[in-house]
Amino acid sequence: MQRRTLFAVAAVMVALLLICGCTGTTSDPTPIATEKQQLRIATTTSLYDTKLLAQITPIFEEQYNAEVLIVSAGTGKALEYGQRGDVDVLMVHDRAREDTFIGDGYGVNRRVFAYNYFVIVGPESDPAGIKGMQPEAAFVTIREKGMASESDVIFVSRGDNSGTHSKEKAIWKAAGLNYSADVQGSGDWYQEAGKGMGATLAMANEKQAYTLSDIGTYLAYKGDLDLVTLVDEGDILLNIYSAMQINPEKYPDVNSTVAKDWVNFMISDDVQKEIASFGVDQYGQPLFYAAQNDWEKIGVTQAEVKDPVL
Amino acid sequence: MYEIIEGFVEAIRLIVTLDPDVIAISARSVIISLTATVLATLLAIPLGATIYFGTFRGRKGLINLIQTLYALPTVVVGLLIFLLISRVGPFGFLRLLFTPTAMVIAQTVLILPIMTGLTISALSGVDPVLRDTLRSLGATRLQFLVNIMKEARFAILAAVAIGFGRAISEVGAAILVGGNIMASSFASSTRVLTTAISLETSMGNIPESIALGIVLLMIALGVNLAITTVQHR
Amino acid sequence: MIELEDVSKRFDDKAVLAGVTGRIERGEIFAVIGPSGAGKSTLLRLVDLLDTPTEGAIRIDGTDVHADKGQSLSIRRMMGMVFQKPAVFNSTVAENIAVGLRFRGADERAIREKVEDALEIVGLAGYGERRARTLSGGEMQRVALARAMVIEPEILLMDEPTANLDPVSVEKIEELVFCINRDLGTTILFSTHDMYQGQRLAHRIGVLMNGVFAQVGTPREVFTLPASRDVARFVGIENVIEGVVVAGEDGTVTVDAGGVRVRAKSPFPRGERVSLCIRSEDIRIAPAIRARRVFDGNILPGTVTSVVPRGPFSRVTVDCGLPLSSVLSWKAVEDLDIREGGRVEVSFAAESVHAVRAAQD
Repeated sequence: MQRRTLFAVAAVMVALLLICGCTGTTSDPTPIATEKQQLRIATTTSLYDTKLLAQITPIFEEQYNAEVLIVSAGTGKALEYGQRGDVDVLMVHDRAREDTFIGDGYGVNRRVFAYNYFVIVGPESDPAGIKGMQPEAAFVTIREKGMASESDVIFVSRGDNSGTHSKEKAIWKAAGLNYSADVQGSGDWYQEAGKGMGATLAMANEKQAYTLSDIGTYLAYKGDLDLVTLVDEGDILLNIYSAMQINPEKYPDVNSTVAKDWVNFMISDDVQKEIASFGVDQYGQPLFYAAQNDWEKIGVTQAEVKDPVL
Repeated sequence: MYEIIEGFVEAIRLIVTLDPDVIAISARSVIISLTATVLATLLAIPLGATIYFGTFRGRKGLINLIQTLYALPTVVVGLLIFLLISRVGPFGFLRLLFTPTAMVIAQTVLILPIMTGLTISALSGVDPVLRDTLRSLGATRLQFLVNIMKEARFAILAAVAIGFGRAISEVGAAILVGGNIMASSFASSTRVLTTAISLETSMGNIPESIALGIVLLMIALGVNLAITTVQHR
Repeated sequence: MIELEDVSKRFDDKAVLAGVTGRIERGEIFAVIGPSGAGKSTLLRLVDLLDTPTEGAIRIDGTDVHADKGQSLSIRRMMGMVFQKPAVFNSTVAENIAVGLRFRGADERAIREKVEDALEIVGLAGYGERRARTLSGGEMQRVALARAMVIEPEILLMDEPTANLDPVSVEKIEELVFCINRDLGTTILFSTHDMYQGQRLAHRIGVLMNGVFAQVGTPREVFTLPASRDVARFVGIENVIEGVVVAGEDGTVTVDAGGVRVRAKSPFPRGERVSLCIRSEDIRIAPAIRARRVFDGNILPGTVTSVVPRGPFSRVTVDCGLPLSSVLSWKAVEDLDIREGGRVEVSFAAESVHAVRAAQD
């Protein structure tokens, strides 16, 4: 009996090995050989976690007979992948670093397709008392209260070089503080998550802490959170999303045709409408605003929101 | 507590209704890790046999090195493979990053040392009297090797199962070189059980995480059961 | 057939064999006996080419077996070996027995027939499809014997084949060894630490002690005429007495053993230091009062120092100026009223005393 069981186990294992030996080879995709064009996108987590991309990629795949492969990584990592030529398109939200990236010749044809605002969220009890403050003042207050002894004020930072992290650093700077000297490592009140936006919100929720979030991700996760919006006004909270191609002159075998199609697709009227209405049904307000007609308001050139890439 | 119970109920529902995402992710996990296990087996058994039967300088040192590599951290393997196959790396022209192939390579590299080492142990575990018996029965060198391998077959099979268990349960390398992509086609996606659990949990989708966790646990338990059955021989 | 010439083997610094010389004839059963650690296994392994001698040569039919590595396989294929520890391959009994035949490229039909025959002979008919690992130690050893036998070796080597086996298996295997030798004419070289097994099976015995053959001879020679004090001890002679030859004529000598005079058959001249070996079965004990003086041998008066039960017998030790032991049945002990402290007379024939030259040291 035992011998028979053993035989069965061995037979199943061998069978599995064989099956796998066959399917394994057929399932390994050779990107160049598949008839569908593959488009690799590295995106900031907010566009992925809100499921905006999940909404619009099927439309693109159908229209252009392409397959979209999305790596959700945060702006910092996305830029890194772009710089190494591992993806075809970037979707990020950090104007300053994008400028450097383009200036260094890695990125081309940037188009702005959406914007929204960052918000400072925190526990309803608001132990630091920042509700309604300007973002800079709110940050200074959180830090002061956080550094006071026996305080339950905690700030959770993305800490992952993402666009949101960049914005957070920009706010600390605008508040007159040196990020690395005055904030990072200044005490237990300041904690770096090293994770995506959704995960960071979940962590802030566990700790009943403050954090900076884009409004889109916050709204998408709001149902599972006990955190409320405390600061949502201030010019510095503007959050601009762009798509750009990786420079084919740097990496000749990036898929530049489909990449171009994607960038144009993002600023097309149809997609702009999708973006403007995305999430309204579910959250009662849009998660993102279409950039198409607001270029003046958000301070970018008209060409960047309207002119298709040629 | 409520979250856990609710999550479990939903997880069971996802599994028994054969939720297409759960099935696809589980199947992909098994296919990728089994492919890696087959490749590693094809390399580890001849390699282990060569090292075990060989009489070359530095053999002891090599065995020690292999045993040290048992503890190879998965993220280090991931990083190494990432650097090699990234566009600017030496094998960047193959465009393997963020493909299942890349994950197969990483997992193969990851489990190769432990499978080679366990193959060597399996061969060392053969009763010395049987070795003498084979020689005294007039085995040629080849007949000797074949019969020792045959004698160690269950222990080698256990090594294969252990390799598979390690491959399917690792997350570090899979996420670094696979990218956790959920594409519209099965073959282009790189989301496997471990990376999906990591993502779904971070996104607060607890039921999905639990469902995938249960599947992974069942696979791991199944493999362990196979190992114990085999080792009881 | 097998010639051992000054065969030595050292492992690192430890000399296991120190110049073994001997000759095993074709068709003979030759037993190597000796205490544990005497090098019996090593000697057999050297013959089977599983190890290489440090010095000396082993010749089979005149060929130095260790001389040409290229010939090792064909020489080894003349021999079969059974090891002390019963070990079987993790497969069926039939597959186990077939291994050697497969190595020789025998065809399936021949293999099946020979395996069936072998199973029959070793008393395991019908066991062919069983997992060999599920057998008892004795059965496994019979499989090992069948495995070595089916290749029809000219020489069968067996290293303590029955150590640690139950008495029934031992008997079965001894019977098989006897039959193989008788029916197939196979030369058999086996080792054992059981001297009685050597006596039962072997035509000749080599007593391996301290890395050399201390004696080679028929069982009768070894057991009655041990070549040295150590051999005498090993073959179970309880009374070994040291002494010096003080007088002698016609092959009968008088030996002075610590003041006690003992008459013995011996060719040694006066002044020679000797060890006297007397089997306890050859010693008679009787109450002093009933001793008859017509006996032309040794009669020594003494005091019983101990009476120790041993199986159905009692071992009686008497101090006659030197300690002598004999074995008596319980009834005899009772009838003769032998008890500790009692006066008795110990008698034994001069022919029962075997004198050997004393050890050099």
